[in-house]
Amino acid sequence: MRTRRNLLFGLAALPILAACGGEAAPAAPAAKAEPTKAPAAPAPAAPTTAPAAAAAPTKAPEPTVAAKVLKVGLVTDVGKVDDKSFNESAWNGAKAGAAAIKGESKYVETRDPNDYKKNIQQFVSEKYDVIVTVGFLLGDATIEAAKANPTIKFIGVDQFQEKPVENLAGLIFEEDKAGFMVGVLSALVSKSGKVGAVLATDVVPPVWRFGEGFRAGVKFAKADADLQIVYHSDVGPEKTFDDPEWGKATALSMADKGVDVIFGAGGKTGNGALYGVAERKDKGVLAIGVDTDQYLTVPEAKAVLLSSGMKIIDQGVSDLIKAVSDGKFKGGNVNGKVGLAPFHDLDSKVSAEIKTKLETIRKDLDAGTLKTNVKPAKG
Amino acid sequence: MTQAVRARLIGGLIPSLAIVTALLIGGVIIWASGPRIDGPWFGIWFVVEAYQALIEGAFGSRAATIDTVLRMVPYVFTGLAVMVGFRGGMFNIGAEGQLAVGALASAWVGFTVTSLPLVIHLPLVLLTGCLAGAIWGGIAGLLKARTGAHEVITTIMLNYVGGQLAAYLLNGVLRDRSPLNVIAQTPKVAETARLPDLVPGLHSGVILVIGVAVLVWFVLWKTTTGFELRMVGINPDAASYAGVNVVRRMTWAMGVSGMLAGLAGAVQVAGVNYRSTLGFNVGYGFDSIAIALLGRNTVSGVVLSSILFAALRTGATKLQFRTQISTDIISVIQALVLLMIAADQIIRWIYRIGPAQTEADPVAASTAPVADSESGR
Repeated sequence: MRTRRNLLFGLAALPILAACGGEAAPAAPAAKAEPTKAPAAPAPAAPTTAPAAAAAPTKAPEPTVAAKVLKVGLVTDVGKVDDKSFNESAWNGAKAGAAAIKGESKYVETRDPNDYKKNIQQFVSEKYDVIVTVGFLLGDATIEAAKANPTIKFIGVDQFQEKPVENLAGLIFEEDKAGFMVGVLSALVSKSGKVGAVLATDVVPPVWRFGEGFRAGVKFAKADADLQIVYHSDVGPEKTFDDPEWGKATALSMADKGVDVIFGAGGKTGNGALYGVAERKDKGVLAIGVDTDQYLTVPEAKAVLLSSGMKIIDQGVSDLIKAVSDGKFKGGNVNGKVGLAPFHDLDSKVSAEIKTKLETIRKDLDAGTLKTNVKPAKG
Repeated sequence: MTQAVRARLIGGLIPSLAIVTALLIGGVIIWASGPRIDGPWFGIWFVVEAYQALIEGAFGSRAATIDTVLRMVPYVFTGLAVMVGFRGGMFNIGAEGQLAVGALASAWVGFTVTSLPLVIHLPLVLLTGCLAGAIWGGIAGLLKARTGAHEVITTIMLNYVGGQLAAYLLNGVLRDRSPLNVIAQTPKVAETARLPDLVPGLHSGVILVIGVAVLVWFVLWKTTTGFELRMVGINPDAASYAGVNVVRRMTWAMGVSGMLAGLAGAVQVAGVNYRSTLGFNVGYGFDSIAIALLGRNTVSGVVLSSILFAALRTGATKLQFRTQISTDIISVIQALVLLMIAADQIIRWIYRIGPAQTEADPVAASTAPVADSESGR
């Protein structure tokens, strides 16, 4: 009985053992087979080979380059550099920026919010020239590090700078412009002439700017459009961004009243609106997302998602890195570009004429010849 | 060699071999995610470089060592918490929630009370954390003792309750109301509620954690209470027959367990974060289960495992910096260690170590001589 159990166990453990041998001594594949024969010898063999490898001549861990190469480091917020959202956009920007100035780039992913400081410090101690930190939560740690290291340039994505620090640029975005473009797009593709927006709250300025930008954009494109904008300001702060049911119900009721393009913005509440629209797919209702390309992040709404009002983080980051290289870097708040996400599967819904018009408007907004006239915050 | 010494040696040997084996398998995974054939030796070098970075990142400099120690502190507290539970026969999966309520309560006392001197305020903050954790753990203990509700279930559920309670309070009455704050967090605690630095960057909670570890050891192994608790853990029926109040000891074990986890939260607030923020100090409670198991539920084992886990997590940053591979490798290594501790037959088989001597299994007894000759070399 016992022997059979041992045998079964042995069979199960064999791949593990084989794996060990393969790693420790690839030059001697015969070692794999040994354990089954001689019980005494092979067991210590696996651990002893590792130190032997460690004793091999050491290669320089960091390539040293004669010419001055700018080194760009990026610290994510809790999450990964392939999160299809803020972290990934920022990392793409850092890569692109570093490539454009023939520099090098590396990232460190944060797993534990207690590590913000430590992860930034990793790049500081390796004498990096530019350090990008992603997300509002890293704001305090970034300011602290920037003050302590005046020779290093810092880029804080989505970090509004209250008191500018000379070597720290807060990359922020003009949500009203993104909202404006979404508004124009909505008004132009709507068949019923009724468009709507489902928004988390008018108390938090970025959301309010998205909503009011949308209002201005719709009016700009089609003055007589039937416009429905609802803010979910009737609940407390803990609920306003976290109420997908409300977002969905509101979007559904709009759709049932004939609204055929709905813009959803504000955390899960905004995503709820997208889910709602997805349920009215057969009626041809379209949804527009927010912040990043939500075609990628909200797969449930793929079929109805026309576009998203995006903060173009990658370009913002790479432009700032190029500015460092050109010596044009300035601290304080820097406005990143905003724009519309690709139309993906619904490209046919947007005529070439509309696309041209959107492009003109985007340029005019950028140049400042067209203004949204939205205040920074309500009231 | 006496039986006792031999058992002790093997007791320490198996976790060590589990770690070595996990690191070797981890090496294979690192190798597979690296630029394999580029370097000499089919890219084995990459693995060495990765582990070298890991060690450097954990102990390579003064700052790195301080980071490792800082991270070790909550691990030791929560590891001891789970250990005390285990010793009393209670599987406390709830350290996560107990830590969260401990942090909340201590932050609350930290920022609302402002006019006390440090010598009173700081202990008050820490004790509040203990009390909150003890209540949270004690609920599960009481439920088990009174109704028989299994503590694994109740502590897991209380984790959710604790997490949601934190979300509710940090967004509500405990939230920092300053206009610039948009995060679910409390205001910063008063200066008098902060653990003073031992050396710059290293708070004095390190002293506290050593003191608490010694105290736990003393209570468990040198007092009647501790003896009764361990007796309940080994065999509640026998303990009851010997006149131990089993219900009381179980509740006590869970209460003390929760208290230690709550203290972990309080020390994080008073020494590291200076406030309680939603989403901070997450995961320590779950890691602590692995730490207690790896430490074989002994105080010294918990401290050593905490150092290992802290070093792995701290060194991970440099490992990723150098190699640009995912730090998930650290979780893989930790999971492998745990797997091989939980199923120590794997290690016993690979390294030809005989079955545990305490095993009263007749089947094992029949093969015992063979096992002896194998491992007696």
